Amino acid sequence: MLDVTSPLLAIKDLQAWYGESHVLHGVNFDVREGEVVTLLGRNGAGKTTTLKSIMGMVAQRSGSVRFEGRELIGSAANQIARAGIAICPEERGIFASLSVEENLMLPPVVKPGGLSLERIFDLFPNLKERLSSSQGTKLSGGEQQMLAIGRILRTGARLLLLDEPTEGLAPVIIQQIGKTIRSLKEEGFTILLVEQNFRFASTVADRYYVMEHGRIIDQFSNAELDANVEKLHDYLGV
Amino acid sequence: MFEIFGIPSNALFGQLLIGLINGSFYALLSLGLAVIFGMLNIINFSHGAQYMLGAFAAYLLLQYSGLGYWPALIVAPILVGITGVLVERLFLQWLYKLDHLYGLLLTFGLALIFEGVTRNYFGSAGLPYTVPDSLRGGQNLGFMFLPNYRAWVIVASLTICFGTWFVIERTRLGAYLRAATENPALVRAFGINVPLMITLTYGFGVALAAYAGVRAAPIYNVSPQMGSELIIVVFAVVVIGGMGSILGAIVTGFGLGVIEGLTKVFFPEASNTMIFVIMAIVLLVRPAGLFGRRA
Amino acid sequence: MRKTLGLAALAAVLVCGSANAQQINVKIGVLTDMSSLYADIGGPGSVAAAKLAVADFTKDHPNVKVDLIIGDHQNKPDVGSNIANQWLDVDKVDLIIDTPNSGVALAVSQVAANKNGLFIVSGAASSDLTGTKCNANTIHWTYDTWMLSNGTASAMVKTGGDSWFFLTADYAFGYALERDASAVVEKNGGKVLGKVRTPLNTNDFSSFLLQAQSSKAKVIGLANAGGDTINSIKQAAEFGIVKGGQSLAGLLVFASDIAALGLPTAQGLVLTETWYWDMNDANRAWKKRWDVERNAPGKLPTMIHAGVYSGITHFLKARLAMGPGAVDNKAVVKKMEEMPTDDILFGKGSIRADGHKIHPAYLFEVKKPEESKYPGDIYKLRATIPADQAWRPLSEGNCPLVKG
Repeated sequence: MLDVTSPLLAIKDLQAWYGESHVLHGVNFDVREGEVVTLLGRNGAGKTTTLKSIMGMVAQRSGSVRFEGRELIGSAANQIARAGIAICPEERGIFASLSVEENLMLPPVVKPGGLSLERIFDLFPNLKERLSSSQGTKLSGGEQQMLAIGRILRTGARLLLLDEPTEGLAPVIIQQIGKTIRSLKEEGFTILLVEQNFRFASTVADRYYVMEHGRIIDQFSNAELDANVEKLHDYLGV
Repeated sequence: MFEIFGIPSNALFGQLLIGLINGSFYALLSLGLAVIFGMLNIINFSHGAQYMLGAFAAYLLLQYSGLGYWPALIVAPILVGITGVLVERLFLQWLYKLDHLYGLLLTFGLALIFEGVTRNYFGSAGLPYTVPDSLRGGQNLGFMFLPNYRAWVIVASLTICFGTWFVIERTRLGAYLRAATENPALVRAFGINVPLMITLTYGFGVALAAYAGVRAAPIYNVSPQMGSELIIVVFAVVVIGGMGSILGAIVTGFGLGVIEGLTKVFFPEASNTMIFVIMAIVLLVRPAGLFGRRA
Repeated sequence: MRKTLGLAALAAVLVCGSANAQQINVKIGVLTDMSSLYADIGGPGSVAAAKLAVADFTKDHPNVKVDLIIGDHQNKPDVGSNIANQWLDVDKVDLIIDTPNSGVALAVSQVAANKNGLFIVSGAASSDLTGTKCNANTIHWTYDTWMLSNGTASAMVKTGGDSWFFLTADYAFGYALERDASAVVEKNGGKVLGKVRTPLNTNDFSSFLLQAQSSKAKVIGLANAGGDTINSIKQAAEFGIVKGGQSLAGLLVFASDIAALGLPTAQGLVLTETWYWDMNDANRAWKKRWDVERNAPGKLPTMIHAGVYSGITHFLKARLAMGPGAVDNKAVVKKMEEMPTDDILFGKGSIRADGHKIHPAYLFEVKKPEESKYPGDIYKLRATIPADQAWRPLSEGNCPLVKG
């Protein structure tokens, strides 16, 4: 049985390589059920690699990734997805050869309890209007981002990995995404967010981990954010 | 009755129909190649040999298990498809990250092996295979005598082509395939077993070739070299249609069959060359092919 | 591979070097297509026939020692010439035999003439080998394009097939066949209504067959070979050409092609050959031994195989008559021409001044499936063409060796 006090996702000594280059040097952190946790860090700190390693999308990795108490480090990406984790990648990954509707319906349902299409359209009214659009990549950047998040809400995955969902988007869209993340949290989703924009992160996150050179170098809760702003500026080079 | 360029119109209709029937073979074979290239990024040079294996499988099934044409039409593609699955698991899966050239060389080598082994066992002259009794005879259409078997060939071809197009362009499975062509890692991260899908796709492409082979057995000489004679033309079809384009393969296959058929009337000596002339022109004007997605 | 053959030959020379003075050592090279298009009409079957010929002859004449070597010309004239050069220069081969594919055979014939070798053609068809391209070092044994078209075409015209349409393979061999057959048709009072040149290795002949059909010609002449012939006959059956009243005339069809077609498709086809395994007891007995040597169930020996046997046998007789010691190959050819030929497969015959072996030819019709009583029972004899009528008259070949 799942111990209620144990974290939903526990990462221990996670290491990862791209060929010869050693990218993650032993990453340790936890995400508890229902939390929104943000990984902060400069470009190249290893945030995206961490998400991809959790998802099994990096071939060479070691250490421990426990999800709901189950070890996933040796599993393939498709098995990890079936365990109930879904990713929204940084480049959004909208498929050009698929229509908007096909993009939305692409990820298979892996568990019961995913959001209904109506609920997804409540969150992203624009998507409903563009549903009949022929090609997914004809959408605007903001619409593509909504599509990329919307499609993983259907699947029943409990843990969402969102990689810089606000990157390159207009402030009004960023606000809408922030609103969406907060309401997803209310629905009981657990979210691991990668962000460089900690102002945005501060509107949604419960806790923060700071990464540098493939390691976690600091952590604090949202309540501690103000006390750490100076340090963060330093870390992020803002 | 009127004449077009000195050819009676009814003869011309006959030739158009014949061209369409031959085009259905090109379409079916280039369809398999297009599916394989789209999904695996492999230029499957053993496609002709696998077509030949389909015809040989039909012959062997008849000789040794008494299975006639109709069961063979199902069983032979499955058997040959299984060999395709083995080939993908044993060899091809190691080549996806490498240059196209490696896949081409490997499959070319396999084609030579398949051809050599069958020639060693069955000789080069060929093996007999006849039109099934239920499709003997033909219909007099007025402008030509249409053998029933040819009518069946064109119907079956259109069905398979449309079916494949429909599955790939209009179903959920097809959406997985198209998405995996673009970004296999992400599709896998959505919970889809992409490597298995790739293996089965290759098996399916090979089975399509074998299916064409069974259909060819009653009308073409069943010999070890039957595939290598056809495959060059089919590659030209795929290049003209645009590598990896399903619709391109189908439309170009039928279209070139018709053009080739007309060449056989007006300038028979050039009928085998015509397709390559068209290929050269298309490559000059549209290097990605008529239906190619990549510019 | 040729290197291994060369080594084997070298070893053979060393072994034979110590033999006694009365012994006659000869080396025979079977140059054929071992693995491609013509591997069934020549190829391993020719090798088997050569082995039988050597075994039969050396049994009666133990003082003749024969080394047999094999070369695969892959249907490429340059490969064939290279092997022939190597055999004549290095391996000192006394006889090169077989060589299906007229292109390769013409090239090898040139090599034999230049290097004073001896070349017996059994596998190739071009009548030019004893016509304009004839030479004193080449003998054409089994069949040629003139004989084939003459036999089939004149028989067809005489039985009412007086209007013809040709499907002609678009290369030199096809033209030769069409030219020779057209001449025969017209000489016998028939006429040629049309022809279509089909590219080599065409898969689908239906367009051409439709053209032949609408020409209303009584006979559709197939001036092609191998896969092209099989495809055109198969598809003619499918399009009901024969049922519609037109006849097919195969101008170059081998027993192995009939096996590939199957009797239901090939039935009724008229063709000419010079040898058929089921014609007499001697041939049947020989086929049994060939089957054992060939070891490929279901394969039939062709006239080319029989010609290899017959050619080697006659060559060895001539060599034996000339005694031990060095001989000039032109003299061997002269000797072979002087001696009448006589063997179990072709019976009595002769070799003309242009280098052509002369024997009867046979017009066959392919049996209906219900007439065939056992595997390989495929032909019924329609006519025998006597040796003096079967071949192109000596005066018409324009062979430089023929004076006058």
